[in-house]
This record gives sequence, structure tokens and C-alpha cells, in this order.
Amino acid sequence: MTKPLALIIEDDPQLNTIMSITLQADFEIETCTDGNAGLERLKKTVPNVVVLDLNLPGASGKEILQSIRADERLSKTRIILTTADERQAETLHDEADIILLKPVSPAQLRELALRLRPIG
Amino acid sequence: MSYHFTPNMLPLVIAALIAGILAWYTWQHRQSTGVRPFSLMMLILFEWVFSYILELAATDLDSKFFWTQLKFAGVIATPVVWLLFALEYTGRKAWTTRTRIILLSILPLVSMGMILTNDFHHLFWLGKSLASEGGFLLLSTIYGPWFWVHAAYTYTLIMIGLVLVIRALLRWPAQYRGQMLWILLATLAPLIANVLTIFKIVPALLDWTPFAFIITGIGMAYALFRHRLLDIAPLARDIVIDGMKDGMIVLDANQRIVDINPAAQSIIGLSGEKQPIGKSMAEVLSRQPGLIEKYRGVDEISDEMTFGEGETQRWYDLNLTTLRDENKMVLGQLITIRDITQRKHTESLLQESEARFRQIVENASDMIYRFDGEGRLTYANPSALHTMGFENEADALGKYFLDLTTPEMRHKLKRTYLHQFMSKTPNTYNEFPGLTADGREVWFGQNVQLIFEDDQVVGFQALSRDITAIKQAYEALRIARDQALEANRAKTQLLSKVSHELRTPLGGVLGYAELLHDNTFGELNLGQKKAAHEIMESANYLTNMVNELLDEAQARTNITVLQEALFAPAILIQQSTAGTEVLAKKKGLQLNTSLDPNLPHELYGDERRLRQIIINLVGNAIKFTKEGSVNVKFLRPTHEHWAIQVMDTGVGIPREAQAYIFEPFRQVDSAITRDNRGIGLGLSITKQLVDIMGGRITLESEPGQGSAFTVLLPIKTKTGETS
Repeated sequence: MTKPLALIIEDDPQLNTIMSITLQADFEIETCTDGNAGLERLKKTVPNVVVLDLNLPGASGKEILQSIRADERLSKTRIILTTADERQAETLHDEADIILLKPVSPAQLRELALRLRPIG
Repeated sequence: MSYHFTPNMLPLVIAALIAGILAWYTWQHRQSTGVRPFSLMMLILFEWVFSYILELAATDLDSKFFWTQLKFAGVIATPVVWLLFALEYTGRKAWTTRTRIILLSILPLVSMGMILTNDFHHLFWLGKSLASEGGFLLLSTIYGPWFWVHAAYTYTLIMIGLVLVIRALLRWPAQYRGQMLWILLATLAPLIANVLTIFKIVPALLDWTPFAFIITGIGMAYALFRHRLLDIAPLARDIVIDGMKDGMIVLDANQRIVDINPAAQSIIGLSGEKQPIGKSMAEVLSRQPGLIEKYRGVDEISDEMTFGEGETQRWYDLNLTTLRDENKMVLGQLITIRDITQRKHTESLLQESEARFRQIVENASDMIYRFDGEGRLTYANPSALHTMGFENEADALGKYFLDLTTPEMRHKLKRTYLHQFMSKTPNTYNEFPGLTADGREVWFGQNVQLIFEDDQVVGFQALSRDITAIKQAYEALRIARDQALEANRAKTQLLSKVSHELRTPLGGVLGYAELLHDNTFGELNLGQKKAAHEIMESANYLTNMVNELLDEAQARTNITVLQEALFAPAILIQQSTAGTEVLAKKKGLQLNTSLDPNLPHELYGDERRLRQIIINLVGNAIKFTKEGSVNVKFLRPTHEHWAIQVMDTGVGIPREAQAYIFEPFRQVDSAITRDNRGIGLGLSITKQLVDIMGGRITLESEPGQGSAFTVLLPIKTKTGETS
């Protein structure tokens, strides 16, 4: 059975690593450290879950979020938004499936990601 | 006895008729000056002419003589009545006392006696005979000695009368002269005729005198109707002068009273006394010797004087004019006195009132000034002069209003006040910088009222205050406020940035610690596991601190704008407790929720902030409770309010701490709080949020008995008003 795909778009390398380690047991992991790379990757692949930082170099998390939501191909892709800015996160409440305020607990991330993973 | 009338007598009949009609007509107006003797004189003339007609008509000597005797009744009465007329008409009515009239009449009465008894003594007429002349049968008489006595007396009285009338004629105003001329002519005609007859200058037996009465009748009638003799006799003095309210005194050159009217007598306190005419002024005014001294030698003066004191004090306006003849010789003095007490009284009230208002205006600390329609200063009170920098009023008056302001304000102010003038706006208030005479800038707070005259704007008056200090203070305050706001914004931004920047490394710390702790990198021994746990705890503490600092900073700067919408209380209570339920379970606590059935299904408010309040309170409750339960209730205490109540069975809060528990950075210092570290911002933020929502948070707690926090909130309708 192939694992579902999780795309982690996070510019901070340490957080990126922590998230990768956290999810690697349950997901196939792909990572990007800037917005533009994230957008490029999303054109070629259909992840089950995207862990998306809001504050990114290149295309912003908000742009990526909107691009995913506008793409019929990615209609089943679930999005976990991570941000340090609570107020900004609030405005995107409807578009993201889950919003996590940094710092993110690995255990919490894992639990939420598993919950969003499509069954079967 | 028979009579023979001829057409030659017609002029005499006309003369008699005129005399009779004048007598009858003037008698109707006998109240006017001089009219009563005039009327009488006409009546006597009528009798004279009438008798003469019958004398002429009579055909025998006895009849003729009888009518002659009757005729002489008129002849001897005429001069007496003429004199009385002349006296009265020229203003000497006072002279014509009863005694004097009787005295004047003695000689004529004797004459009449002589006439009637002539046949016995022939003193009046020596003889009589009939003669014919010019178609008339005439009585020819030879005068006796008493006739000449009578004639002398008659002419004396007539001449006195004539002199009086002629003198008056010369003095009277032109408008009366015409009338008097006619009277003179009317009087002189029979006199001349009489002289001609008596002295037989024209040798004739006919008595010309009655014929001259035709001229008299016509002359008098003309004087009467053309000059309105009876309407305004020149000496309406009685009515005009005596009736005058003003006092009038005429003095002769020796300061003796020639004339004085009742008003003057009353003013100098002589009413009721005998006529003061003839007395000297010094005698009359013996009680006011100062007055005589004051006006001695004064030629002409207008003065005010006063008699009496206190309540009875009266004021008079005195005018003294020296009367002179054409040679500048002093004839006397005319004094008029007018009672001006009422005017004085009004004037003094006005002066008092004026003084009172002047004092208010002059002493006002506010500036009061006026401009005319041209915008030129016409008045400025001392406060205004001082503020505008003028040394005295003279320097300020006439200044153009715009020149008293700074040049850059002039255009705007001109427009402002032009608009007020045009629109006739009664009142305006403006603040602007003024320019003082010595070049300083002073701020004016100026009230301007238009001055109207017959609906036309004729100027404006201003009530102003020097608001320079206020303006400066306000400016300083504005700068301070801007600086404070700027500083606060910077602080908030810094805090926000710092918090934000702290979260990312915290993620690293927390993440790696958790991964370590969960044996992701291999099995840890007990010491390592404990160390990893401590790192996690510290990271969590730091996270909480960052969160609270950020919230506090936002609340402080009122960035918190409520985003209100309709929400379901049932969902709110469930959502906001779901997250904390895990924590409660971990500590073995019961977390109960309940909803008052009286609550509306939907409320209006900021659901996210309400959730934040509930999470804060419930989080605290769980933190400080070791065993028992935490109960969350939504209540409906009043019709207009709903409430969130969070009760626990925890340690409780000491009474002294309850006072400051809602202040930022305050925490109850106890073993429990040391175990549950925070920076003490949770309740402070909660209170601020409740305040923003227009609600109130209260605390009931006993140490060891648990705590109950109640948040009372208004039930709002969708429009944001309380229901």
C-alpha cells in the first residue's frame, strides 16, 4: 500500500526537518523551502496533505492557498496552515482546513494530519 | 308829529344796518379780547345813526329836537366806549376796573343831564331853529358853553385811545398791522367828519359824522372778516401766556416785574399771593438771594437751576434775554422758565444705566469692541486695547478689522465675515490669529454679532477672548498625543515582531524536544526523558508568554476591533470547551457545561473573542484546580443581559488578591502559581475584552472553596444596540 503524499512548504529548515520527521512514518514526504518552489511542485503532483507556512519567501502562503483552492485537480488536497501571526491566520479560516499557530507541536501535527488523510 | 323820508337818507340807513349787524354779530364773540367794547361801540353807533335818520326825517322842530337829544346819548357814550376798546385791545384790560369806568362816565352823564334839561338852562345849546339845505330840512343849533366841555372831553378820550392804538400798531408784528390800520381808518373817518361839522369848517348845517360811520362800518367789517379780528386778537396773551406751562417773567430796566404768568408765579412760589406786578425781582425772590446775584448784569443766558430738595426737588431750564430798543437801550428782560424735572429724572436714570453698563464693559476681562459698516474700529474696551497692543483708544479707533489679523488669515476672514454680513447671520464664532499693534500673534476666539438699524447691517460688535494659551496648550497636547500614539504603535509593532520572530525558533525547540521525548531518535533513558520534558515545559511557558504579550499589546492599542455577527450560544459553549476538555481529563477533573433555556438561540457578538474569554477562564480554572470539577454555564440573569460563568473547586483566590487580579502582570503568589507559571496577563486581557464588549467581569471566591468568574454581557441586536 503506497503512503499518501504530504507536501511540506516551510522556509525555516529546522521546522521543515521536524515536520518531515514527524510525518514520515505515515506519509510520503516532499518538502519545499520557498513559495515559488512550492507552486512549481504543486503543478506536477497532487498531495493529499499540504503543510503550508503562511510567511514564505517568493509566493506567499496565501497565494499558494488560493492557487490550490482554485485548482480543480487539487480539490481533494487538504491544507494545514501554520503561522506565527494569529490575526492573519484568522482571515484565512475558511480556506484552510486547519490552522496551527506556531510553535507547532509534532504530536499535534501528526494527529491532525492523520485525521485529514483520506481513509483507504 | 310827521316824518318825511327821502332817498337821500339811504346811505345813512346802510350805515345804521352795518353798525347794527356788526353789533349783533360781534356780541356772539364777546369773549375775545376787545370785542365786548367793540360790540357796544357798534350798538351805540347804530343808536346814533338811527336817531339821526329820524331827526332828519322829522318835519317839526320839537320832533327834530327830541331825536337830537336821543342822538346825543350815542354821541357822548361813543368816546368812553372807544377808550375802553382801545385799552382792552392793546392789552390794558386790567386798567379798566369798575371804579374807573364809573369815573370816566361821570362827565358824559352830566352832559346827558344837561341835554335833557337844556330848555331850562340853555347851557348845552343856546338856541335851535329849522333850516333847509340840500333837500334836507335840518335842525340848526347854537352850541352853549357845556357843549365845549363835552367836546373837549370827547376829543381827549378819543385822542388817548388813538395814541394807544397807534403805539401798539408800531410795536405789533406785521401780521396785525393791516387789521389795526383798518380799525384806525374806521375810527378816524367819523372823527374828521365830526371836527368838520363842529367847527363848521365846511359851512353846512348837515352833521357829516353819521355819514362817516358808513366808512366806519365798512372799515370795521373789513377788519373783522379779512383779518379775522375776533379769531385771534393780537393780545391772545391771556390765553397763550397765561395758559403756558412754561413760566414767563418780563422785567423792566429797573428789575421790576412788568408781566408774569401764573406758571412763573407757581414756580417761584407766589401762587395765591397778590399780583407781583410792579414789585422788584429782589423783593419777590427775597428767599433766593443767590439767584439775583447770579444773574446780575447778565445779558443773555441759558441755565439750569433747581428749587427745593429731595422728593420735592424740581429742575428748571432758565432762559434770560435782555430786551433792547432799536438804539440798543435796555428796555428790560424776558425770563422764561421751563420745568425739566421729568427730563432730568430720565436723564439721570439713563446716566446711571449707562454708567452701570459702561463699568461692566470697561472692567470685563473679555474683549469687547465694535466696528462700523466699513469695518473700522469704533470702540474697544480696555481689555481689548491691551490685548491688541494699543497704548490708548485713540491709536486704535478707525483701524480696519483685517489689519488686526495676520496677513495670511485676511482673505479667509474677509470671506467669512462678508458672508455673515450678506446672509445677515446674527451670530458667529471664529478662532483666528490676530496681529497686535506691536507685531505679536495672539489667538482670538471671536463672537461676532451684527448690528442692525432698520433691517440694515450697520456694523458688528465682537466679544472675544485671548485663547493663545489654550491654543498653545491644545497644540502641545496634540503633539504629545501624536507622539504617544506613535510610540505606542512602535511598541506594539516591536512586540508583534518580537513575538512573531520568537515563535519560529520556539517551534524548533518544542519540536525537537518533543521528538526526542517520544523516542523518535532512539530510546531515551529516564534522565534524558526528564530533560526533554523540561525543555518542552519551558518552551510551552515561553509560547504562552509570547501569546499573552501579543494579546496584551493588541488590546492596549485598541487594535482589537470587535467583529460581531450572529452566533449560536450552544455551538460556542461546545467549541470553546472542547479543546480544554483534554486538559481536564488529564488532571482527572470533570468539565461540565450547561445552557440556560431562556437564552436566545442566536446572539450577536464577536464569537472568536468570546471563545478567547472562555478558554482563558476555563484554562485558569483547570490550572488552579487539583480535584473536583469545572462548570461552564451560559446564563440569562436579566432580560437585557446574558452571562458566562466559570466555576471551579480549586484553591480559590485570597480576598486581598481579588482587588488586583484583573491588573496586568499580577499573579497570586502561591505554591500553585509557582507550579503553573504564567506571566499574569490572561485575566487582564479577558477584562479588557469584556470592557470592549460593554460588559462586566466579576469574581466570587473563598480560599479553599473555589472561584466563580461571571462575565455579564448586554444582549445586542444585529444593529449593535442593546435590546
